[in-house]
Amino acid sequence: MQTSFRLVFTKYEYFILSIVISISLFFTLSIISEYIFLEPYLVFSVYTETAFNFLLVLILSILAGIVVSMNIFRVKLAKKSKSVGASLTGTIIGASAGVCSCGPIGFSVITTFGTAGSIATAFLTNYEIPLRLISIGILIIMLITTMRAIPAECKIN
Amino acid sequence: MKNGKKYTVAGVGVAIVIAIAISFTSYLGQFEQAENQGDNVPTSTFQAPFLGSQSATLTIVEIGDYQCEGCKEWFDHTRQKIIDNYIDTGKVNLTFIDMAFLGVDSFNAAMASYCAGDQEKYWDYHVMLYEHQEGIDSGWASNERLKSFAFTLDLDIDEFSHCLDSKKYYNQVKLNLEKATGIGADRTPTFILVNASGEQRQIIGSQPYNVFEKVIESLL
Repeated sequence: MQTSFRLVFTKYEYFILSIVISISLFFTLSIISEYIFLEPYLVFSVYTETAFNFLLVLILSILAGIVVSMNIFRVKLAKKSKSVGASLTGTIIGASAGVCSCGPIGFSVITTFGTAGSIATAFLTNYEIPLRLISIGILIIMLITTMRAIPAECKIN
Repeated sequence: MKNGKKYTVAGVGVAIVIAIAISFTSYLGQFEQAENQGDNVPTSTFQAPFLGSQSATLTIVEIGDYQCEGCKEWFDHTRQKIIDNYIDTGKVNLTFIDMAFLGVDSFNAAMASYCAGDQEKYWDYHVMLYEHQEGIDSGWASNERLKSFAFTLDLDIDEFSHCLDSKKYYNQVKLNLEKATGIGADRTPTFILVNASGEQRQIIGSQPYNVFEKVIESLL
């Protein structure tokens, strides 16, 4: 398993890619979920009851960066694109769960799609934590699968 | 075939990046729009009770939804500190404008708060609603629960029930929603702080007390 990490992340471009994905996702989700405010002052704020959710955002962002960049490496290596699709699915589920219905994205969805939008955003808000846990689960499974597959595919190629 | 898959995956990836970028740009764009439109907010056109002294030199207009998690966070962590330090001292007053958009129960809860206001218990009911907030449209603000809150607050249940069942304040809640969106509010909670000379600042989201403290001090 360590071999996979070494194979991917000793390459400069994949190391940078994973950091860029993790940081971009973390800041985007933190702003949408109101852990970071840009105006009127740049403020970082996590309340006790939202600390667990914030931790999930952090884990999700780090995992997404690692898994997506490892799978891009795998696609280039073995031309298998299914694995990227699964890792993106995990990331999208986790990111969607963070779309706070009180925010402008939820507001736009509700005003555009009416009752259907309201039901969808209510679902994403009410089940935010379980959805994030599912998405982290998908990413962990993808990580294990990818770490096992990379050394084998390297030998074949 | 393999190339086709590769392009599909690349296409999906690019689409996701574009979607995130659009959402983020839209978020900031809407924020700026709300901030700019907030320069001349006709707050006097809203129908809402005030908490604090009418002679206070600064008014905080909270635009909120009773089912909004962020509004509850602000209620739990920031509101009481503002009451203790600024409202009880007569420097600031607070008013609440319903932007009941999250679900059916948002509208009912807002109407119920005005029904409680008929019996001089608007703010007690407001507090009761936020203290009992649960998931969106999960039944926590059903008609029966709203009436049970009224009962707990010792309101005249017949009068309250008649008010709620007849949707006496439907038009007011609808008007408040239209006014709130009309001034560019696209999320809850949104706060507009206005001082006696008409100078205004906006705070968007459930921001911590120290942010409010800084903005209030700059406007007093």
